[in-house]
Amino acid sequence: MLERRSIHNIDWLLAFSVLALASIGVGMVYSATAGGPLSGLAARQAAYLLVGFAVMVLVMAVDYHTLAELSYVFYAATLLVLVYLLFFGRAIASTRGWLELGPVNFQPAETAKVTTLLALSFFMSRRRTAGLGLSNMASILGVVGPPVLLIARQPDLGTALTFLPLVAAAAFLGGIRVRTILILVMIPILALPLLWHHYLQERQKVLVLTFLDPASDPKGVGYQVIQSKIAVGSGGLTGKGFLEGTQGQLKFLPAQHTDFIFALLAEERGFLGSLIVLSLYFIVIYRCIAIARAARDRLGVFLAMGMVALFACQVLINVGVVLGLMPTTGVPLPLMSYGGSSLISTMAGMGLVLNVWRRRLVN
Amino acid sequence: MPWDYRSSKDFKDYYEERRLQRRITLVFVLLAGLFLSYLFNLWYLQVVNGENYRRMADNNRLRQVVLNPLRGTILDRYGQPIVRNRISFNVLLDREKVTDREGIVRTLSRVLNLPEETIRERIARYRNRPAFEPVIVKEDVDLSEAAYLESRRLELPEISVAIEPKRSYEEGELAAHALGYVGEISEAQLSKPRYAGYQMGDLVGKAGLESYYDRDLTGEKGWKQVIVNSLGRELRELPVGRHPVSGNGLRLTLDLDLQRELEAGFADKAGSAVFLDPDTGEILALVSRPAFDPNVFARRFSASEWVSLINSEAHPLQNRAIQSKFAPGSVFKIVLAIAALESGKAGPGRTDFCPGFATIYGRRFLCHEEGGHGTVAMVEAIQKSCNVYFYHLGRDLGISLISLWAHNLGFGSRTEVDLMHEEAGTVPDEEWKRRTRNEPWYPGETISVSIGHGALEVTPIQMANFAAAVGNGGTFYRPFLLKNREVRDGVEEVERAPEVLRKIRLKPSTLEVIKEAMWEVVNRGGTGTRAMIPGKDVCGKTGTAQVVKASAGVKSNKLPEAIRDNAWFVGFAPRDHPRIAFAIFVEHGGYGGETAAPIAQKVMLKFFEKEDRKEEPTQVARTTQHP
Repeated sequence: MLERRSIHNIDWLLAFSVLALASIGVGMVYSATAGGPLSGLAARQAAYLLVGFAVMVLVMAVDYHTLAELSYVFYAATLLVLVYLLFFGRAIASTRGWLELGPVNFQPAETAKVTTLLALSFFMSRRRTAGLGLSNMASILGVVGPPVLLIARQPDLGTALTFLPLVAAAAFLGGIRVRTILILVMIPILALPLLWHHYLQERQKVLVLTFLDPASDPKGVGYQVIQSKIAVGSGGLTGKGFLEGTQGQLKFLPAQHTDFIFALLAEERGFLGSLIVLSLYFIVIYRCIAIARAARDRLGVFLAMGMVALFACQVLINVGVVLGLMPTTGVPLPLMSYGGSSLISTMAGMGLVLNVWRRRLVN
Repeated sequence: MPWDYRSSKDFKDYYEERRLQRRITLVFVLLAGLFLSYLFNLWYLQVVNGENYRRMADNNRLRQVVLNPLRGTILDRYGQPIVRNRISFNVLLDREKVTDREGIVRTLSRVLNLPEETIRERIARYRNRPAFEPVIVKEDVDLSEAAYLESRRLELPEISVAIEPKRSYEEGELAAHALGYVGEISEAQLSKPRYAGYQMGDLVGKAGLESYYDRDLTGEKGWKQVIVNSLGRELRELPVGRHPVSGNGLRLTLDLDLQRELEAGFADKAGSAVFLDPDTGEILALVSRPAFDPNVFARRFSASEWVSLINSEAHPLQNRAIQSKFAPGSVFKIVLAIAALESGKAGPGRTDFCPGFATIYGRRFLCHEEGGHGTVAMVEAIQKSCNVYFYHLGRDLGISLISLWAHNLGFGSRTEVDLMHEEAGTVPDEEWKRRTRNEPWYPGETISVSIGHGALEVTPIQMANFAAAVGNGGTFYRPFLLKNREVRDGVEEVERAPEVLRKIRLKPSTLEVIKEAMWEVVNRGGTGTRAMIPGKDVCGKTGTAQVVKASAGVKSNKLPEAIRDNAWFVGFAPRDHPRIAFAIFVEHGGYGGETAAPIAQKVMLKFFEKEDRKEEPTQVARTTQHP
């Protein structure tokens, strides 16, 4: 499948950055769990990395057009699994989002991101009309809506919301008019009070309120944000050293191998380490955008840009939470947070983008 | 209709293509801007404010642990321990090691001999505490139980025995008011400058010597620094800190043997008494009844125990020896006699005829002897405690002279004993009446004061110091309880030198008359014969302080106890060079000679028995005190 020639057709910078981030992630998971009851997780994460790498190569190998043609099959399968979860899903941390597959627990919501991306890109590339009308907008929502609603029902609102960048990207690149954007922006602003009073649960209100003023609840929800900022800030320029972060090693930092892994990195590796990792993330995004520009067809453009939307938003949300710029949401840091589903799905998505690069030139 | 998107003409749509590229650029710029702003944020957090956050992280992980010093011990004058720090053993359960919760409850119940329910409750109390914090399942077990549990550590790894020092008042209620008690420092105390440097939760003296010498007893706190994790568990210690310095031990002037005799003499009667060394002011015994057990305060105190102590009508927490104020009654006749003799207004030969009453200023004043004492001279008047004699004497002296001599003899001012909250009492005169009640002095009041009533108020310790001064010839020492401190590891401070507060020059002839009279009170059929000790020449004076006016005409011992008069007995022994002086006050004791005098006799018997037995060493000790 991989012809000799295609070695040159691999975006090495992207591939390298993805692998580098995932490897750093394994290291940080090790540091986050060293000496504790979870100390086996680093090895598992390393194993997931290998699986993810294999999946990435596999996804890159098969022509993305072929994959796109099968996208509705993947998509339908995804929806079926998500529906199945609502009834038989395994509950971890109060959401029924886990599928038990032998020894491992799998989170289909993460794979749903890739299959939805594929299906949406396929749909967008087939669209013939110029501009983006109301019916097209409805179609976009029609593709992204079902998995989002099913995931939100688990209930895992945080993960469900990470799909929304897909809608934004598809609409924006699909040619939505500036006027329409303004209207769409106005709706949530106007709907916010209604949402606040009638839809949001108390817990979610508390999250938002504590985000606005973390000190108001220093031992509750605000605790995580305060401890996270202390961890990041106390890292200084060069950090406290690997396994030396007191916030992390003494467990002041919450969820440090998952959602707050960036705080651990910032504490142990300082500003320089954070700079390197954020740069790697930016390189990944930059390369994806470059690939979108170089793509040979609209399918490639949407695949690459959709991946940018999913990936960049998760990075920005996760790091934003760690830095106290956003309310705590429970979005993992792609490639670095512990978790096989997220890592493998992200690498599969990156495989798609690499695939687009590899086949950017018409034979 | 397979639509071949590969040959799609979308890209040929120039306008569409331009817009797509523009929007991709826009996305790129937007994301680049966001990443840049994140980097700025990181720079701000980590480099600009890094030091602040590093401090906060240190505050998180470093904990200063205060190491409490041992409180100083308290010994009696011969080195017998009165207050110690007892080692107490608590049985702890490490919940982290527990696998079978029900099993361990059963085992503990069997081993500790406690009902299972109690153990479950104690464990449940720690529900919200971190799991590494051990549960105190049984407090203060005895040594054999502790040893038994320690020997079974292999079988019961989740159980351990921890040592905690506890304040132990070895004799229970004995001398409770002199010793006082300890408790957690209150907010009111914390705000006082006297308690600067103390912290919430510190153990502090709350009354008595524990409070007066708190600074000595407390010692100095030490500290260590430990690294803790987010659950507060101590992970390791840092090589910085300071060892605590134990508090100084205190050696008291109290003689435990006399104290025991005195307490036994009171039995269940309420009242107070002070025994002094008239040559130094050392307090040999001090009692206030009813008493309390200071050990109760050392334990974890229950609210109901507090309420019962505070609300008790007997006021067991009040130190009556320095705080209760009563009329001195007939004891005050000695003050009048001294005033008369020293001022020359009357000599010992002054006689008076007592028909059982006197009519002065148109009012009839009774003597306690209905038929009257007949013709009495001064000595006999004191010995028989004739009121009529002193009514007339008081009238002739006038209130100013009486008040002057009462002040000279230590009444109306504090003795400055080393205890907190001493009362000064009251010596009334014209100026006092004007100042406090804005009323003129009525001559009839002088007559009441002459036999120790009216507005006169004295404390038992003032009375004891007065007796000591009469006995030693006019020297007022400052009464004290602290002989010396143990500075460190058995090294003792030099014994405290007696402190002379005031010396009044009494004519030898005056002393001769007073001593003769007081000797006769005890030894010649006076009111205090029940204090007599053959060969020891006990001198004393009885007194009664009326409780209610209505009882004035009724014999005190025929009244119900609650309104029976209070009894005084004050004195010293032996007559020449007295070695011990005392004042005893028995609430509702009726006549002082009946209830208070036997107590004085009992304590003095013990005192002289010890003195006679250890004549030699005591002599040596006394020589060192007065080189």
